[in-house]
Amino acid sequence: MSNENITKEEITAIFPKVAEIMADALGCDVEKVKLNSSLISDLGAESIDFLDIIFRLERTFKVKIPRGKIIEAARGELSESAFEQGGLVSDAGVARLKTFLNEVPADRFKTPLKSAEIPKLFTVETFCKMVIRQQRATAAAGGAKPA
Amino acid sequence: MNRITALQPGTSVRGNYLIPPDIADFQQSLVGEAVGQLAAWAAMAAVDFKCRPVAGIAGLIELLAPVRPGQTLELSAELESVDIEAVSYRGEASANGIPLIRLQNCVGPMMPVEEFDDPQLLREHFAVLCGNGSATGGFGGIPPLAFTRNGGEPGKSARATLQVSASAPFFADHFPRRPVFPGTLLMNLNLQLAAALAAEIPGRWKLRTVSDLKLRSFIPPGEQLELEAKLGARTENSVIVIVETRKEKKLVGSARVSFALGGNS
Repeated sequence: MSNENITKEEITAIFPKVAEIMADALGCDVEKVKLNSSLISDLGAESIDFLDIIFRLERTFKVKIPRGKIIEAARGELSESAFEQGGLVSDAGVARLKTFLNEVPADRFKTPLKSAEIPKLFTVETFCKMVIRQQRATAAAGGAKPA
Repeated sequence: MNRITALQPGTSVRGNYLIPPDIADFQQSLVGEAVGQLAAWAAMAAVDFKCRPVAGIAGLIELLAPVRPGQTLELSAELESVDIEAVSYRGEASANGIPLIRLQNCVGPMMPVEEFDDPQLLREHFAVLCGNGSATGGFGGIPPLAFTRNGGEPGKSARATLQVSASAPFFADHFPRRPVFPGTLLMNLNLQLAAALAAEIPGRWKLRTVSDLKLRSFIPPGEQLELEAKLGARTENSVIVIVETRKEKKLVGSARVSFALGGNS
């Protein structure tokens, strides 16, 4: 998992554009979009907005973002059953999420954590990191270098 | 949609549609719907009819020329990506070589097809469309739908209430297993309200584009909706109107509608 190596400088470099995209997609002022804003709780995003944001990010940053794969990426080497059971994320799963989503303040991880509520954890920085990860993957595959 | 004339699976699709000559009117929003339906067929075929797209997002719709009954629409759509989560596409409709409408950055969330339709019937209909085509003339025009104006400030905002019918004929097709008020009809009403607001502003305003169109939730039969059109920005030559639809204060749809000065139709 490469997100631990993502630097603040990399995030700061793309944040203004990501914030602009979020504001356009959500119909809010760009000033309202902070790096640590929760998309759902703070910015009122719904599932259609997530789709909108991902496609806008793809078009703007010329990357392919695997939809619906954030949680799969967060799960890493944990099996699905070790990650969650009966709709609840296991202790090991929560530990994985805390590492993968290390931009999310610890107090936002509720116990027990329902799998369906994982998207509530996503912040603007989560999406910045997602773009950077995909830019790196594209560059590694011989595509365009990250801007 | 009468016939699919070319299909590159998962990539592009072309088709045509003869607008019945005997209907009174065929709104431009229906031309957009025809392009969207063409893309939907291609998307469903790409995932073996396991999922179907539903109305979601249209980044930009350019209304390029008027359309009239009796014309044959030449439709095309390019699928930018398609999987079981979403289809992203752009498309165009023209008649006699003249572009009528252009759609860009459209996204349709994919839903399990069995919730809405019989997958086998869809496959069979798709085979007909890709073969000799379906019969023409089945569309009788948009049923009369009217909102009730109930407030606003002339030239600045307009509000209206829409009572969605509990049992309109279009619910039988949209969709057979789950009736949903068509997003195209909702947008058509939104455009009417936006045009009514623009008409209150001095000048002769012509609808040019619809952008950032987003439909957030399904509208079942019988719902009461609140429509609002607000003046967003105005220059000497253009007017932007923001349209929003709410159900009990919850936003269910929105778009940005632009009008330009002039035009003959």
